[in-house]
Amino acid sequence: MKISDYIEQSFANLWKKKLRTFLTTFGVVIGIGALVSMISFGKGVQKNVTDEFNKLELFNYISVSTSSSPRENHADPDQQTSAEDEYLAPALVFDKKTRESESNILDDTFIQEVTSLKGVEYAFPEIRFPAMIRFKGKEEFSLIQVLPAYVTDLMELRAGEAYASNDTNSLIISDSMLRRMRIKNYEEVIGQQVELSTLTLDFSIFNLVNIASGISHAAHFFIRGGKDPNGTRAERLPFSTRSYTFTIVGVAERMGFGGALPLRSDVYVPPGPSQRMEKLLLTSIWDFFQPPGKIQGYSSVSVKLSSAKYVEPVKKKIQDWGFKTFALIDQLEEMKKAFIFMDMFLFAVGMIAIVVASLGIINTMVMSILERYKEIGIAKAVGASDRDVKKIFFFETGVIGFFGGIFGLILGWMVSMLINLIINSFATRQGAPYVNYFSFPWWLCLGAIGFSIFVSLAAGIYPTIRAARVDPVIALRHD
Amino acid sequence: MDSTNFIETEDLTKIYSMGRIEVVALKDVNLSVKQGEFLGVTGPSGSGKSTLMNLLGGLDTPSDGRIKVEGKFISDLNKEELALYRRYQVGMIFQSFNIISSYTALENVAFPLLFAEVAKKERNSRSEQMLTKVGLHHRKEHLPSELSGGEQQRVAIARALINQPKILLADEPTGNLDSKTSRQIVQTLSDLNKNQGLTVIMISHEESLLAEFADNIIRLFDGRVVGQENQ
Repeated sequence: MKISDYIEQSFANLWKKKLRTFLTTFGVVIGIGALVSMISFGKGVQKNVTDEFNKLELFNYISVSTSSSPRENHADPDQQTSAEDEYLAPALVFDKKTRESESNILDDTFIQEVTSLKGVEYAFPEIRFPAMIRFKGKEEFSLIQVLPAYVTDLMELRAGEAYASNDTNSLIISDSMLRRMRIKNYEEVIGQQVELSTLTLDFSIFNLVNIASGISHAAHFFIRGGKDPNGTRAERLPFSTRSYTFTIVGVAERMGFGGALPLRSDVYVPPGPSQRMEKLLLTSIWDFFQPPGKIQGYSSVSVKLSSAKYVEPVKKKIQDWGFKTFALIDQLEEMKKAFIFMDMFLFAVGMIAIVVASLGIINTMVMSILERYKEIGIAKAVGASDRDVKKIFFFETGVIGFFGGIFGLILGWMVSMLINLIINSFATRQGAPYVNYFSFPWWLCLGAIGFSIFVSLAAGIYPTIRAARVDPVIALRHD
Repeated sequence: MDSTNFIETEDLTKIYSMGRIEVVALKDVNLSVKQGEFLGVTGPSGSGKSTLMNLLGGLDTPSDGRIKVEGKFISDLNKEELALYRRYQVGMIFQSFNIISSYTALENVAFPLLFAEVAKKERNSRSEQMLTKVGLHHRKEHLPSELSGGEQQRVAIARALINQPKILLADEPTGNLDSKTSRQIVQTLSDLNKNQGLTVIMISHEESLLAEFADNIIRLFDGRVVGQENQ
């Protein structure tokens, strides 16, 4: 028989039992749909991660931190500035030998030195501090990140533009922060004023008296019982607030996956005004235990390389200077392993549905053979070989697999899109950016159809062998 | 074996094993058929007539003995070769017609051409011609359930002849037909035998029909040839 005849016969034979064919194919559709959804989810997550990393050139970053006690290494840029004369000015005249011989501090000298290395585009300190953001009568707490103007090109801006100078009272706010404030029109916030309130330590006499009074009240009410009528606990702590006004110049898209290196905030301000602000960094609890003026250097510095090929030599150099480094590219192999395990797990879950569908195919084909027992005998009597009979049934299972694959792919895509829609509708309400959690690369689409045909043919092996073994003498007597 | 014979069997034996019990369906059958001969085979039920037909048609293989057709021992052929033998050299018709109930008359006639890898267009034209020959062209789109017994058997004859075989084996072709239709069917077979030189071997209980149309008749009893008559 010609292949076209096998296909035509298969369609004709399957069409005769429409309901059974539909139900069997539907089983395959569900199996392939489940498998495709699972794999596309795994691939979607991988694609999102790698695309995000590649887009932001995160494999080109090295995060540098000090290897000594954290007590010595967390800095306020203001204090940094104020302490420069005392601690850092001599180090500005940089000399490698001097650096290697001194205690390791991440300071501006380090930034100058690392920037001079081959392959390094720029380096900047990672500084974040807490602040209350007040805008249009709403308040939101957030960590403000100090970001030099030349790094702002990493951001995806939804409205406005990045600040052009490091010394302007401008800020960039994330879309998720605005959504939390119930602001949907990003364009309208551009050029508007926003107030940032920072916390500072306050050991003034007045405040100490206030604290003592608070403790006295607390003791009084603790002994007598009842509620403290005198204000909040914050008033009894050695803090005071400072307010600063900034102009919103841009609205940035919140980075997915927690905003991997080096943008991890909802509000970005340039270094200039940041240095003039009184604030607590609070990047570590150890900051509270630092005597004034003893905080030196930055907690960490991000180093941007022009290409991932410079990661190893630059990293080695920085390590030689006694600093700790972290490069995302080092995690790539581990990530790949994790993705493989995730793929295997999702594939195994999807395969359960495929196995069930295969049993459906076997059942259908065996039923079909029993029903067409006489027909097989007639086919053999008029000259069909065992191979011809096998092929007839193989093509029928192949057709089931083909359509199961196509419609399974469509079902998998539709279910994935629906899940994606539901997850994103919840996530975006919480301020998270829209993420496509499913990916349908071409090889998955073709592979799903191919795999469906393969599984169907495999399921058809037993029935086709059984069909080929039909004894024509017995079959022709069969009613 | 005589080389002038078209079909020849030598000590043809078929034994069916049913567990420990062995049933001898045919025992040492020797027969010879000339090309263009109309051979009638008769005998009571269980005498081995259908077994002989299945062996000659290549549907079954002998337990012992040999079958020679057109100078070739078909008893030595493997499964694939036997399929080719059934496809091109022999056509078979049966008492119960054995046409596919879900196929139209035309599709049933064209069915063997599928395995001969004949193009669809040619399949249809040859099948229509064959249906015309058996007088059923006007019924080509009808399903077997819409045809009479005689018409169904003529569809079966058309199907058996579609690959232009040299041998036609008919296993009780009139068994399910009335006497008038039976006579018409056997007449059709006789015409094919006389006009086209088709070698026909027909099994029948109706000895009068065989006596009228067959050149020779053999009688089977308990798997053995117990009589042979030349007409």
